[in-house]
Amino acid sequence: MDAELYLDLNTVIHRLDARTKITLFIYTFIGLILFENPLWLLPLCSLILLHGIVSRSLKNLRRIRYILIVLTISSLIMWNIFASGDTPLFWFLDAESAIFSVGRTMLMLFMITGGMILISTTRNEELVLGMIKMGLPYRVGFAISTSLRLVPTIASSLITVTQAQRSRGLDLESGNILARIKKFIPLLIPVFISTIRSTNIFGMALESKGFGARDDRTFYLQMKMGALDYVLLIFGLIFTLTMIFLNLQGYGDIPGLIRF
Amino acid sequence: MNETIITIDDLHYRYRGEKEYALQGISLKVPKGEFLVVMGPSEAGKSTLAACLNGLIPHFHKGRFKGCVEVLGRSTHDHTVAQMAEYVGMVFQDFEAQLFSTSVELEVAFAPENFAVEREEIGRRITENLAYVGLEAFRNRPPSTLSGGQKQKLAIASVLAMRPQILVMDEPTTDLDPISKLGIFEITNQLRKRDDITLIVIEHETEEALSADRVMLIKDGKILQIGDTRDILKQVDILEDLGVMPLGIPRFFKLMGQTELPLTPAEGLAAFRQQGWQISETKYEQLVAEESAANERFNKPLIQCRNLEHTYPNGVKALQGVDLDIFEGEMVAIAGQNGSGKTTLAKHFNGLLMPTQGEVIVRGAPTKDQGIFKLGQKVGYVFQNPDHQIFSEVVFDEVAFSPRLHNFSEDEVEQRVAEALAAVGLTGFEKEDPFSLTKSGRQRVAVAAVLAARPDVLILDEPTTGLDYAEQRSMMNMVRELNKNGSTIIFVTHHMWVVAEYAQRIFVVKDGKLLLQGATREVFAHEKELEEAFLRPPHFVQFSNQLGKTLLTPEEMIPCIDGVAN
Repeated sequence: MDAELYLDLNTVIHRLDARTKITLFIYTFIGLILFENPLWLLPLCSLILLHGIVSRSLKNLRRIRYILIVLTISSLIMWNIFASGDTPLFWFLDAESAIFSVGRTMLMLFMITGGMILISTTRNEELVLGMIKMGLPYRVGFAISTSLRLVPTIASSLITVTQAQRSRGLDLESGNILARIKKFIPLLIPVFISTIRSTNIFGMALESKGFGARDDRTFYLQMKMGALDYVLLIFGLIFTLTMIFLNLQGYGDIPGLIRF
Repeated sequence: MNETIITIDDLHYRYRGEKEYALQGISLKVPKGEFLVVMGPSEAGKSTLAACLNGLIPHFHKGRFKGCVEVLGRSTHDHTVAQMAEYVGMVFQDFEAQLFSTSVELEVAFAPENFAVEREEIGRRITENLAYVGLEAFRNRPPSTLSGGQKQKLAIASVLAMRPQILVMDEPTTDLDPISKLGIFEITNQLRKRDDITLIVIEHETEEALSADRVMLIKDGKILQIGDTRDILKQVDILEDLGVMPLGIPRFFKLMGQTELPLTPAEGLAAFRQQGWQISETKYEQLVAEESAANERFNKPLIQCRNLEHTYPNGVKALQGVDLDIFEGEMVAIAGQNGSGKTTLAKHFNGLLMPTQGEVIVRGAPTKDQGIFKLGQKVGYVFQNPDHQIFSEVVFDEVAFSPRLHNFSEDEVEQRVAEALAAVGLTGFEKEDPFSLTKSGRQRVAVAAVLAARPDVLILDEPTTGLDYAEQRSMMNMVRELNKNGSTIIFVTHHMWVVAEYAQRIFVVKDGKLLLQGATREVFAHEKELEEAFLRPPHFVQFSNQLGKTLLTPEEMIPCIDGVAN
């Protein structure tokens, strides 16, 4: 079962240094939380989309499309509850809170997209090495990468378990919400147990290969910053600083919005 | 004799929370450069012993540890697993869980990196060890795209990269098809010839143990016997009693009343000719004629595939142009390499997967029109790993899951559970916790859980993998009993002796296509084609083929020998 998120392609973005990609992701993160107004988020969002198109990694979003749809709908509704404004639309909705909820939803979706692009274009080992070169202790970096590695493992065992239980007559598509939640028990317990079993072997294999044997460690993988890396880092820095400056100048708010 | 490299002295070990000791007084000396195979039934303590050799016990698995294990003069008790890793390499059965890098070369680099080996040297070790296991061409590939056999080879290379003096392999070939198994054993043999490495392999497959220097039999945490490989493997009865599969060749000669027992097909052939035995042409033809008459009784098609094709959403074509008929009342096997498409094929029979082209017809109606919920009541599917379906706190609820989903009355449910548990030999276990059972017990619970829906057809995916010989036999005898009582049985397997003894017909899948199909005897006569599909008949069948007739078991051959009464 093909459950890896990393896409083994050779695009310009894939060839970038992991440190650049991590930094760009951090810039994205900062840029997205600056503004409430969706219009002001547009420049950054189009850059993220461009990033995704150039790296051909947006197709990975298809794999989580159902989660994205659920999140989008619930976020569009929820943020209206936490905010209001002066211009009533209908029922409890105000124009301001509606705009606000669009902004917050964009924030969420594009953060996921940014993260997805990072994972789709960076090998796990590069990610760890990048984080270590940026100052994180090896064990922390390794722990982060291991938890990322667990995602595809869990996903593929969820597929198998679902097939096994459907074969036994479990019908996941019918019943009310309560009944449906109950139906997840036969899925979650086997997934949980087989994940624990395989992480146990993983742990044994890790120690048996000398994990943590020495205080220092070498890396076979080599990283080199190229000209494009510096160009993107500088561009990203200028862009982010400009955004912060504009934000401090008071741009990007939604006039009349009252947040609870 | 070389110097001793491993010394185990009166080792006792009990896992935390367990009452029984898993190891009870093991004492052993292993000379440098030896190839030792450890055999024994499930739960004998084989893996526990392996885990003691590199310090996983007592450091990773906590528990009660008595006695002493010394490797190269270092007590495992006083050194961490990571410290021991430089001297003792460890390869596990589960090749998925022990690989964790995104490319083959980085997987090999991981261990030397931990020991702060210089980058250039790591590069050399990657080249050297990938060449050693024959994976040079895959250097930049992600391990997830490799076949099972290649993954296990990679696991070996990644451990050898630490240049350990001892290599311990815990059932490295259990999940592999026969030819991939051979591949691993070729590597082991190569290693055996190097006197700088000591090999300790835990193995279920007796045929594979033949190249060892010594074999050790263990049971209940104690050493039963240790000695020269040939001496140990000749003891057909002792092995069988222990739950270890005896070799087919010595078993045949023993049944023929011989005292001097050959071990390999080649030795068997020589001995057979020396005795002047002949296989009777008429008796053989009679056997074949009886068999085809018996197979003709099955003529009501139950499952039919017509030009079946399946392409996964990621574009991988897993099956193409498959045409087959499975008849009511048959017991058939689907065999092939890991990733050949055999499981994908079987998943079409109960509607888990739908054809992307062509069709699958079950009892006259296309699966597309029936859907899995309806099909599931006719066609039961037991998955390979029972842990992928067991979730209840007691066995009763687990088995009752399916009948309850189909809304039967509680009386009916109770009756079905009782019936299903009786069929798998688990009557009286209703209130047990399924997770506390052994692998074979959990496998039986999984079968019972499917039987409780009273399907006409039972599909079993690798029902014997991970079980010892005695458990495999009793599982398959139970399945055959179900078949005799009217169920149609389809099992997916790479255990060739199971096919030889239990399947009436076999479908061989290779790269998503049906390579061979027919009566087991006919198919097993085609050793060359089987090899293309990474399959190889058991020793006894190879021996028989060389005699010019395909006889599947010693019991089948004996009455066919001229001048030998039943």
